[in-house]
Amino acid sequence: MQEHVLHLQGIRKCYGSGDLQTEILHGIDLRLQRGEFAALIGPSGSGKSTLLNLIGLLDRPSSGKLEIDGEDIARLDDAELTRLRGQRIGFVFQHHNLIPAFTAEENVAMPMLVARGRPDRDMFETAGRLLEQVGLGERKQYLANRLSGGQQQRVAIARALAMNPALVLADEPTGNLDTHSADEVFSLMREFNRHQATTFLIVTHDPRLAARCDRIIELIDGHIAADSQLT
Amino acid sequence: MKAWLPFEWIAAWRFLREGRMQSLLIIVGVGVGVAVIVFMSALLSGLQDNLIKRTLSSQPHITLLPVEEVARPQQASAANTALRLQKNAQRLRTIDQWQTLRDRLQGWPEIAAVSPVASGPAFAIRGEASKAITVLGIEPERYNRVIALTERLTAGQLRVGAGEAVIGIELAKDLGAEVGDKLRLSVADGRSETLTITGLFDLGNKGVNARNVYVGLRTAQSLLDLVGGVSSIDLALHDLDLAEQLARRIAGETGLTADSWIKTNAQFVTALTSQRVSSNVIRFFIALSVAFGIASVLVVSVIQRSKEIGILRAMGATQAQMLRIFLLQGGIVGFFGSLLGSLLAWSLLVLWQLLARNPDGTAMFVISVEPGLVLTAAGGASVVGILAALLPARRAAQLDPVVAIRG
Repeated sequence: MQEHVLHLQGIRKCYGSGDLQTEILHGIDLRLQRGEFAALIGPSGSGKSTLLNLIGLLDRPSSGKLEIDGEDIARLDDAELTRLRGQRIGFVFQHHNLIPAFTAEENVAMPMLVARGRPDRDMFETAGRLLEQVGLGERKQYLANRLSGGQQQRVAIARALAMNPALVLADEPTGNLDTHSADEVFSLMREFNRHQATTFLIVTHDPRLAARCDRIIELIDGHIAADSQLT
Repeated sequence: MKAWLPFEWIAAWRFLREGRMQSLLIIVGVGVGVAVIVFMSALLSGLQDNLIKRTLSSQPHITLLPVEEVARPQQASAANTALRLQKNAQRLRTIDQWQTLRDRLQGWPEIAAVSPVASGPAFAIRGEASKAITVLGIEPERYNRVIALTERLTAGQLRVGAGEAVIGIELAKDLGAEVGDKLRLSVADGRSETLTITGLFDLGNKGVNARNVYVGLRTAQSLLDLVGGVSSIDLALHDLDLAEQLARRIAGETGLTADSWIKTNAQFVTALTSQRVSSNVIRFFIALSVAFGIASVLVVSVIQRSKEIGILRAMGATQAQMLRIFLLQGGIVGFFGSLLGSLLAWSLLVLWQLLARNPDGTAMFVISVEPGLVLTAAGGASVVGILAALLPARRAAQLDPVVAIRG
């Protein structure tokens, strides 16, 4: 089994073209090992979102090498990239994560449905189990928009884990929540990390939450300014 | 998600169900368009069938006549001769070998009935009154299969034995005659025959009702000096639209003149055709505006759902899957709109048949909504819906997930 879930080497990202070209990321080197629980912090405009989009395979780097679970993405076409993203990466966004036309259970089953093309019993069993684990077993038939913000984020975490991904990317997952809900959501991610050795990379502004991670990566002006292991 | 449908169908259906008001409005919009198309088509085909039926109630589908006589000058083209060719006056002639021809045509699969007729001009005289008429000598059983005379009788019966005649109601009125009365027919060269009126008919055409006098074939043959001969052969076909084609084929094979109803009613047929063309133009533009309606609703829907599209893409949904989700929404809207439209059109037609009545209270004409028309409308509307969704669906598929999620 590959030790490194994520391997970035000399990643650069530019936007625009010609004279107007601006470089957002100036050669990022970063490795994440299986089971790591890392925070990505930095002021706005530092390139956090850009980096997260690259790692999430939503965008391609301008140059540099990016490996997910040992697979070099430079060799993959767009369709293969989409497939790899669906199977190896889970996302938790800041808000409006869920698709309101579907129930909590269906939202959790969605990545499996997208991958397999048709619903089956197995995906709903998996979805039900995950919802139990995030404490929403009784709400599985609720439409997504009838859940509270904290509940929605918990469903989003269950969904991110549905495909048993190598890496879960969370972009300000608690940004819109009160401290109590934020705490719950954070603890939940921590629990999955401990029990299933799922790797998490969490973008956050909240120093309190960052301090509860194993590792803090600080991004400033497109460079990694600090990378410290907490004990 | 109880039904084990493909992902795209589930998502398309849920998106439509969630945007309830929008979906409902556009389905009603499609429904109104489809209703107009179906109603117009049914009305038009009912009207045209009815017109054709009325026109052909007193006309055969094809009439075979002997070739016209032409003058053949003996000096073909002498340069110094001033030659004026005068067209022959056409005398009444018989069709050669008509029995053989009759039996041969009877064997053609396209031909429903063959009826030889001996006809010519005569006068109908009763007391002081005298009317110019056309004598038609027929074999009633065969003739009835070409023109349903029995159904059109208003009095008496279709009996044309020796000394018997069936006349139109208009002629009967002019002559003051009724069933059982005597009538004398006389032709230009002096022969005449006294007949008993056995029946009166109404073929729905005043001219025909005043002019046609049906007698037995033998009576007509002797009256018109066509002993053993017939002046024309009337045909009925299984398929009206093939009349012109078949007429040409028969003319080619027999050397006779063959006139189809399409040719003898050229102006009428042209009117029907242009009516059909103009209705096709209207239908096309209705379909076009329905398509634009569907497209505009879906464009808005793609914008509203861009965040959801982004999330689905982040979860591994491919561009092709997104494309299909929105194409399906167009198709589903078209399909349900067409069902609603067919229902609406059907109610309109029922209403129409209740309200549009002849002065005597009978239905003006029969319109039926054929299942084929409804199926065509449903299929057509679904295809139009999918085509209309093409542009919005492409937009959805090409949405950059990064931009979409950031919203």
